[in-house]
Amino acid sequence: MFVEFKHTLRRYTGQILGWGIGLALLGVLLISVYDSLADQMELYQEMIQSMPENMMAFFGGQDVMATPEGFVAMEFFSYMPLILGIFAVQAGSGLLARDEEEGTLDLIMAHPISRTGLFLGRLLAFLLALAAILVLAWLGIVVPMNWSTMSLSLIEVARPFVSLYAVLIFFGSLGLLLSLVLPSRRWASLTTGLVLVAGFFIDGFAELNENLESIARLTPLNYYQHLEAFEGLKAEWLVGLFAVSLLFTGLAWWRYSRRDIRVAGEGGWKLTSLNPFSSSS
Amino acid sequence: MNNEAVLIKDLTKWYGSFQALYGVDLTVQKGEILGFLGPNGAGKTTTIRCMLDQIRPTSGSIRLLGLNPQQQPTAVQERVGYLPGELHLEGSMRVDALLGYLQELRGNQISPDYFQDLVERLELDTARKIKNLSSGNKQKIGVVQALMHQPELLILDEPTSGLDPLMQQEVYRLLREAQSRGATVFFSSHILSEVEALADRVAIIRKGEIVEESTPGQLIEMALRRVVISFQEPTDVSPLEDIEGVKVLSRGADSQATLQVEGHMDQLIKALAEYPVKDLQTASHSLEEIFLKYYRDQTQEEN
Repeated sequence: MFVEFKHTLRRYTGQILGWGIGLALLGVLLISVYDSLADQMELYQEMIQSMPENMMAFFGGQDVMATPEGFVAMEFFSYMPLILGIFAVQAGSGLLARDEEEGTLDLIMAHPISRTGLFLGRLLAFLLALAAILVLAWLGIVVPMNWSTMSLSLIEVARPFVSLYAVLIFFGSLGLLLSLVLPSRRWASLTTGLVLVAGFFIDGFAELNENLESIARLTPLNYYQHLEAFEGLKAEWLVGLFAVSLLFTGLAWWRYSRRDIRVAGEGGWKLTSLNPFSSSS
Repeated sequence: MNNEAVLIKDLTKWYGSFQALYGVDLTVQKGEILGFLGPNGAGKTTTIRCMLDQIRPTSGSIRLLGLNPQQQPTAVQERVGYLPGELHLEGSMRVDALLGYLQELRGNQISPDYFQDLVERLELDTARKIKNLSSGNKQKIGVVQALMHQPELLILDEPTSGLDPLMQQEVYRLLREAQSRGATVFFSSHILSEVEALADRVAIIRKGEIVEESTPGQLIEMALRRVVISFQEPTDVSPLEDIEGVKVLSRGADSQATLQVEGHMDQLIKALAEYPVKDLQTASHSLEEIFLKYYRDQTQEEN
C-alpha cells in the first residue's frame, strides 16, 4: 500500500505545485489588493453599498464585505469550491478509472498488491495531495499578512480551508464512487461536476429566495462555511460531510473489490452494471 | 505433492448476456510450457484474466500453484509473472522509474544481476521515456517485468508481439532457461511456429471451450494428411477405403490417386505393399494447418 501511496503522490506532484502555487499567488494578490483598498476604505465601502443588495447577499451581505474576513471570504473562499472542485472531481473520478481505461491497471494488479491496498494507497495520496494544495493556498494568505494591514489569525484563516477540504473530499469521493459505477470516467466527472455547479448556484440563490432553502439543504455546498468559518466551524456540518464522504468511499471500495477490471478500449459498462449492487458477471 | 501449476475446472464466464467461457478445463504440470491457441474472441484473454483475478469467473475453479487466485490474490501474484496481451504503460515515466516502481511492488525481491542480464540481453534502454519507445521496445519492458523476479509460473499473453525475429529468439531462450530452472510457462500466441518450437503441450480454445489438448507432435501426427500415390499402371484403389481413417479423394487419369489419411500411416503403408506403387508423397501438416482446421470448423459452424 505504501509503495502505491508514494507512486500516486509522485504523480500528483505537478498538480500539487500547479494548483498550490497558483492559489498561493492569488492569495498574495488579494492581500495586496486589500491593502491598497484599505487606504481608501471609505471609497471601497461606498462601492460595496452601491452594489445590488441581492448580489451582495450571494456573498453574505453588504455589511461584512468591508471587513478583512468578509473580503477574503468574498474574493477567495466563495468560489473556491468551484475552482478546486475541478481538481477534486477529476482526481476522484480518475483515481482508479483513469488507469483502468488507459489499460495500465492490468499490469499493476498483476503485482502483489491487493485491491484494498491499491485502493487505500491511492485514496490516501489523493487526500494528502488535496491537503497539500490547501496548505500552499493558506500560506499564500497568511505569509503576506505579516506585512499587511489585514489582521486575521492563522487559525481564523485556516478554518474556512478545513470546511473547503471537507467539501472537496465530498466531491472527490462522489467522483470516485461514480467512476466505479457509471459506464465511464467521463460520465462520472460530468455527473459529479453537475452536482457541484448546480449545488453552487442553488445554494447561492437560496440566499435571495427563501423558497430555495429547502432544496439548498440537500446540496453539499449548503454545509460549506466560508465567511462564518472565521468565527468558528460547525462541527456537525463537518462531521456530516466527512461521514457522507466516508460512506461514498466505502461503497466505492466495496464495488471496486468485487467488480471486473476492464480492458483498455473495452468501452463502457452495459447499462445493467449501472446498479452499484449488481455483481459483474 | 501437488504437481499442477495450473488447474482450471469447469470455468465459465458471462459478460452480461454474453457467455465468453463454456466450462474450460485445463491442467498445466509444473515445469511444463503450454501454448494456448485460439482465434480472436475464443476466450484466451478472458481465461488468463480470470487466472489473475482481474475478472471474476461466473463459476468453476482455478488453482495456480495450489492457490486460489480469488481468495489469495497477492500470494499468487508474488509467485507469478504476467505479461498482458495489450501492454499499456504510463508514457510519462522513464523505463527505469517504471521498472523500479514495479520492483518496489514486489518488495524489491529481485536479483540485480539477473535484472541487468535481462535488460542487456533484450537491449532495453532504461534511460528513455516510455512514450518515446516503439511498440517492440515497450514489449521488452513487459518481458523484463514478467521475468525479473524469476517467478514459478509465467503467464504470458502474446509474449513476442511486436518484437523483431532476433528478439523473439532471445525471448524463447529466456523462457527455456526459466523452464530449466523449474518454472512453468503458460503462453498464448498467434505465431504458430513459436508454439510448435517452444511448447511441450498445446491447448486449443474455440468459442470458450478447450477443443484440443495435446503435444504439438501428437497433434501433427493425428492430423489429416494428404497422400498422393502414383502407380505403375491403372489401379483400383477402392479397397484402400476399408482401412480406418483412409478416404480416397480423387483418382487421376494418369494412374495417380489422392488419399486423405487421418491418424497413423502404418496400415496404409502395409496395404500399399500389395500395390504397384511408383511414387508416394505425403504432405505433413504443420501446427498452423491444424489450428486453421479448427478455425475453419468454427467459421463453417457460424455460417
